[in-house]
Amino acid sequence: MKNARLYALTILTGLLAAGCAGPKVTYVEPDSSRLVTTVEGINIQDFAQAADAMTASLIDNLINPGRLKSSVPGEPALLAISRIVNNTSEQIDTDLLVKKIRVALLRTGKVQTSTTIAFGGAEDPLVKELGGPPRRMPDYTLSGKIIEVRARAGKVRQTSYVFQLSLSNMDGIAVWEDERTIVKQGTRPSVGF
Amino acid sequence: MLMKTALPLCLTAVLCLAAGCRSTRVNTVEPAQPVANKQMISDQRVLLDQSLNKAVSVVGVNAATGPEGFLKIQVEVENRTRSRKLFTYRIEWFDENGMLIELPTANARPRSLEGGERAMITATAPTPKAKDFRIKFLEPVR
Repeated sequence: MKNARLYALTILTGLLAAGCAGPKVTYVEPDSSRLVTTVEGINIQDFAQAADAMTASLIDNLINPGRLKSSVPGEPALLAISRIVNNTSEQIDTDLLVKKIRVALLRTGKVQTSTTIAFGGAEDPLVKELGGPPRRMPDYTLSGKIIEVRARAGKVRQTSYVFQLSLSNMDGIAVWEDERTIVKQGTRPSVGF
Repeated sequence: MLMKTALPLCLTAVLCLAAGCRSTRVNTVEPAQPVANKQMISDQRVLLDQSLNKAVSVVGVNAATGPEGFLKIQVEVENRTRSRKLFTYRIEWFDENGMLIELPTANARPRSLEGGERAMITATAPTPKAKDFRIKFLEPVR
């Protein structure tokens, strides 16, 4: 009788241990405040935050006052993506920033982006091959830089990411420029907001 | 004997706590008669977290639409506590049919306010189709 109880207890403990040992994984909405934030490294929400601020600045300073000009009347202005320099210690895909801005600008109904004219070659080579020479040249180009600055005071570590963007017209004049800085502090490799 | 040792210990502990939790309140100055003419709008609030409502209390909301039809909003918030508070906020935009406008730039923005500080949260609608908005405030979770 005693042995039977002991066996049952052992089996129950084993089952409980097996149940608790499994990996705990959950899906998180990308726009939620539950995303992992690290001091060292640009997190996915940092790109969304910078892109959101840049798009709002473009709308506030250029689009909403009606200063954005299109070379073809009645059509949205055409944008080409120029060089976005990554001056951080990380290898990052700058499209994490630029694509978000492109999508947001397209949704304004005031801007379209060329997929055949871009710095470093066409984004869509097939269109370039099948479509022949472009019928329309861009009205503006978007260029920029992402810079990283680190500081440390005692146990506190600080990393700043500076996002700089410029919109130039075809005369080479920057008609819009902005800079957004995201600063993160922490005492351990990983911190929350 | 016990009282003799316990009292200095208690005093030291209180002093240490006071030093660690020192308040960071904000002093401000502004014109007595502001020139700006704010277009304040009436708002509807759902308050489920009273401590958060003290840390980030909405003073007022004003809105204006630009020449190209983009709605711009400005929410004045105030930290009604004595210490620095962290929070995040998220803005949702809706079209004239009340449908949510989804964007890849949607994000929960972190923000902090010193004790007693008032600040402005500004946002511009992503498209002229956006006619309404909703702002959600949350406590930091990680």
